[in-house]
Amino acid sequence: MSSLPLQPRRIDLSRWVIYGLVCLAVLLPYVIYVEMPFTPSKEAKGLYDQLEALKKGDHVLLAFDFDPASQAELRPMGRALLLHCFRKGVIPVVMTFWPNGLNMDKEIIEKTAPEAGKMWSREFKNGRDYVFLGFRPGDTSFILLMGENLKTAFDKDYYQNPTQKLPGLTDVNTLKDMKLVVDLAAGATVQAWIAWGSDRFGFPLGAGTTAVSAPDMYPFLQSRQVVGLLGGLRGAADYEVLLNVNGDGRLGMQAQSFTHLLLVGLILFANVVVFIRWIRGGKD
Amino acid sequence: MTTPQNKSNKKTSSVEMAVLAILAVVFLVVSLLAQFIVKDADGHYYFTTGADLRGSLGVILAAGLTLVMYSFLYRDNALFKIAENLYVGVALGYMVITITWREALRPEVYDKFFNAPTWGAFREALLYRSVPVILGVLLITRLSRKHGWISRYSYALIIGYGAGVGIPLTTHSFILKQLYAGVAPLQDAIVGKTSPALFSWPWFADVAYPVFLTALVVVGTVAVLFYFFYSIEHKRTGRTFSQVGIFFLMVSFGASFGYTVMGRVSLLIGRVQFLLYEWLKIPK
Repeated sequence: MSSLPLQPRRIDLSRWVIYGLVCLAVLLPYVIYVEMPFTPSKEAKGLYDQLEALKKGDHVLLAFDFDPASQAELRPMGRALLLHCFRKGVIPVVMTFWPNGLNMDKEIIEKTAPEAGKMWSREFKNGRDYVFLGFRPGDTSFILLMGENLKTAFDKDYYQNPTQKLPGLTDVNTLKDMKLVVDLAAGATVQAWIAWGSDRFGFPLGAGTTAVSAPDMYPFLQSRQVVGLLGGLRGAADYEVLLNVNGDGRLGMQAQSFTHLLLVGLILFANVVVFIRWIRGGKD
Repeated sequence: MTTPQNKSNKKTSSVEMAVLAILAVVFLVVSLLAQFIVKDADGHYYFTTGADLRGSLGVILAAGLTLVMYSFLYRDNALFKIAENLYVGVALGYMVITITWREALRPEVYDKFFNAPTWGAFREALLYRSVPVILGVLLITRLSRKHGWISRYSYALIIGYGAGVGIPLTTHSFILKQLYAGVAPLQDAIVGKTSPALFSWPWFADVAYPVFLTALVVVGTVAVLFYFFYSIEHKRTGRTFSQVGIFFLMVSFGASFGYTVMGRVSLLIGRVQFLLYEWLKIPK
């Protein structure tokens, strides 16, 4: 049996050119810093204003419903929201329905609290100035339980301290005592928080989502079921600009803007090529 | 049979192996230099494992795996497959052992029954948790063909509870509230508190523009629904209207695609930031 002749290996150069250009577009802003101007979106401002209007000692529930796979977009949002809470003297109460992100959530809180302490020369203490409740299974049913009694739902915090004795939760009994709930979601938990949480118990809900899920949130913004939205890395950068702090969101947006320009250029170039071929009567 | 092209492939493969070996050595040297070589105040370099040896090793491992995953851009290879399977295995192990046992079964079941602090706590666990635990155990009978029917009792409860609680809430949140949001600007325009002069700037901003947007949403929704309505043939006016639906769908796909591109680029930026700031320890 004769073997089939082997095809000489074809190297698709255009693919490598695109990889190289994308690589350059992402890396270049870290080598040569070029400030790309952008104005925070009104969706991000909606969430910022909601939190800014709270008083010292009010409580905000932050649901970090994401895992390390989406941390590039959602982690800077979490940090920015925590910094905002610390700056305002609002007590952030953090929890998650995504167990894979539990250790990451702990790291975000434990890094941000001392960082905020340095920024505003204050000591932010666990259990008093912020609370980390950790993970509980149950998703939608658990939201209902939290709406009935938060301290029954979470009898202990992540560090195994009884929630009944936490000074940071003294005035909190149910979800209704939260002045704002923000869900940072890599999945569909925002919809659960809307139906089972905010619409039922009447607290304002904000959302931070990955860029992929952001378009799905706009109907809820229009119906005011969500008071503000942070969409993808851009949303994180928006919030950092509003808060006037530096972070991975703003830093990443430079690379993001460069890459977007490149992609728009490539799409236009490809369309021009197709258009020219079409005029010349080519079939391809 | 050895053909000249087989020889050529063998040669390429050897070159690839050599390049891989060089890259591996470079990676190790760079990792050691970045993670363990520190400059003191006098400008002398010295080797230290630092306070967090496990953390440094974790960063090196994560950086190595990141680079291995990106090697897929060159072509599918054995290292990529190893990393891919490692990810699936670790994620599964973490989910089953760490999360299911440590975060769910142990605190919610085992500790409540076998480490109950008081007789009262044990009685409470028996009262509230024994039925859910039994129903949960019954689900495992799905694994047996003979006894699988027993699990239907648990499923019946899950479906009954889910439908009973979920249907009214989701109807209210995702249909009624959305319908209301769709007509609210029209309502505001007709029975609004303020009635600006016709064709004045406030009239355009507060009445005409929201009404125009609402009309756009209504036309878009109806046109898209009509496009998917196959009971009548799309001819003449119907065809034009269904093409309007296609137009709205295309705009929607474009928005989703744009956001998806942004999300994917953000993930790349996240990895680049990790490699620059945590692996190479370049100051921000």
